[in-house]
Amino acid sequence: SVKAHKEEDNPQKTMEVNGLTPVPDSYDYDLIVIGGGSGGLAAAKEAAKYEKKVMVLDFVTPTPQGSSWGLGGTCVNVGCIPKKLMHQAALLGQALQDSRKFGWQFTEEVKHNWMTMTESVQNYIGSLNWGYRVALRDTKVTYENAYGEFVGPHTIKATNKKGIEKLYTAERFIIATGERPRYLGIPGDKEYCISSDDLFSLPYCPGKTLVVGASYVALECAGFLAGLGLDVTVMVRSILLRGFDQDMANKIGEYMKEHGVNFIREFVPIKVEQVEEGTPGILKVTAKSTTGDQIIEGEYNTVLLAIGRDPCTRKIGLDKVGVNINEKTGKIPVNDEEQTNVPHIFAIGDILQGKLELTPVAIQAGRLLVRRLYAGATAKCDYVNVPTTVFTPLEYGACGYSEETAVEKFGEENIEVYHSHFWPLEWTVPSRDNNKCYAKIICNIQDNERVIGFHVLGPNAGEVTQGFAAAIKCGLTKEQLDSTIGIHPVCAEV
Amino acid sequence: MGWEEMQVRGYSEFVRTAQSYHGRPIFALFCGDKDAEGRSWCPDCVTAEPVVRKELHNLPDESVFIYCLVGDRAYWKDPNNEFRRNLKLTGVPTLLKYGTPQKLVEEECFKAELVRMLFTED
Repeated sequence: SVKAHKEEDNPQKTMEVNGLTPVPDSYDYDLIVIGGGSGGLAAAKEAAKYEKKVMVLDFVTPTPQGSSWGLGGTCVNVGCIPKKLMHQAALLGQALQDSRKFGWQFTEEVKHNWMTMTESVQNYIGSLNWGYRVALRDTKVTYENAYGEFVGPHTIKATNKKGIEKLYTAERFIIATGERPRYLGIPGDKEYCISSDDLFSLPYCPGKTLVVGASYVALECAGFLAGLGLDVTVMVRSILLRGFDQDMANKIGEYMKEHGVNFIREFVPIKVEQVEEGTPGILKVTAKSTTGDQIIEGEYNTVLLAIGRDPCTRKIGLDKVGVNINEKTGKIPVNDEEQTNVPHIFAIGDILQGKLELTPVAIQAGRLLVRRLYAGATAKCDYVNVPTTVFTPLEYGACGYSEETAVEKFGEENIEVYHSHFWPLEWTVPSRDNNKCYAKIICNIQDNERVIGFHVLGPNAGEVTQGFAAAIKCGLTKEQLDSTIGIHPVCAEV
Repeated sequence: MGWEEMQVRGYSEFVRTAQSYHGRPIFALFCGDKDAEGRSWCPDCVTAEPVVRKELHNLPDESVFIYCLVGDRAYWKDPNNEFRRNLKLTGVPTLLKYGTPQKLVEEECFKAELVRMLFTED
């Protein structure tokens, strides 16, 4: 913890002895970062490189079910990392089935043990939490496991889990508080439902699961749960993967349906009741149609809500320092230098209005921001043509415009879409689907048939997409793509 | 009751000792064997040991500190030795909190701040 400035003798000298440049105006820190997730940690570590005195405040308010986690934010603890590992667990299950056709012989039926998987995943996450703490301590970034909120223009109150409050001052602040899952606001939601915040550390197998939502979180979770052999139903209010290319979204849905995931379309839950206690217990869900008066009921062991995420910006004292937020969404508008309306307060990551909610984006924004603040750099974060991947059972990689957005922006007559189904060689022998994998590129006819959208649906979509993102950033045209000889036999050659 | 130290040599003795203290916080420092003059074949272990020992007074009450000599250099270099295989150790010295992913490896053990963090924080 920070000692109050009693060094009346020579505060400058104390700082210099510690290898830090003196903090202006007797603030405790040059920079306080609120939130120790992907963006926050990247920014803090970068600032430490320039010998700035930095503090990171990270605190996880436990979920209604009591789940909590260590330093590292959503991605590391309850997002990308455990998600991809569990997705991999499901893929391995599929691979085991395929392997028989490739000659592997095993007589036992293959079963999945949820606890074994979850313990391994949590153990890995624990090593990441620890690694971050070592990295921060080693680079002399002060880390406090405490809830930070503004109480004055340059002052933060940090409250730890024992309720002890401390005040810290800094010249500048970066808000990187991220988001948390939204609840439905219906009877029984907080008491009985879980969210992605709970799923990856659930101390029992979820069993028959209802996933509410049509986001990538909903579909990825539904996908791997089904892949592990569980009975999974997805309840969708309207469309799948809003904001993504709908042609691709529908193909993803179709694939999941054909591979054992049940879909209930155009319904929303209105009530969740407990039929039986247990780990898992039995829950009864009542749902109403969005297009009529029809009411349905269903029983499930687990109800997983994945209907969206809300920024953690309402209770951090932003009103006390005059930082504007979008009252409706909670998101923070910033300029192209991640600066809020208050010049010494910045924001990065999922909480930003109008920006992509992705770990690498937050990291890049955080690093570049800090370089601009302390190293005289000018580069700004490029939010255009950011590649993404959805890790549904059939993976979907994309970079650039969706077909709908391209049509809207350039006009249907000015874009050309090239597409193709493909059959991965690895899928031929085990007789897996021959018409599901799909790739398309969207080109701007008026700009040399420049590739403005790349979409691929198939195995290892993330790996495939990364290279194309670099090509698109360089201004790839259809002609250049055509003249690039393919690697054979791989999916990416399509 | 404060903390106590146990000195062991070799994998089996380590595991037996750790198991006998099940339920208490266990910290372990793994070093290369020492010769007749008390010097280890592992130079980093020679550097780390005094740093770690200086922080032992920070150990939480009831905890056990196991000082474990892993074996001679040839044993350690074998990629299949039991410490590597079962405890997933990748180098000596390694200082760890048994049963958790928290550990410090090699040069990390030279840093008093990190050792203190391992001993005192959750």
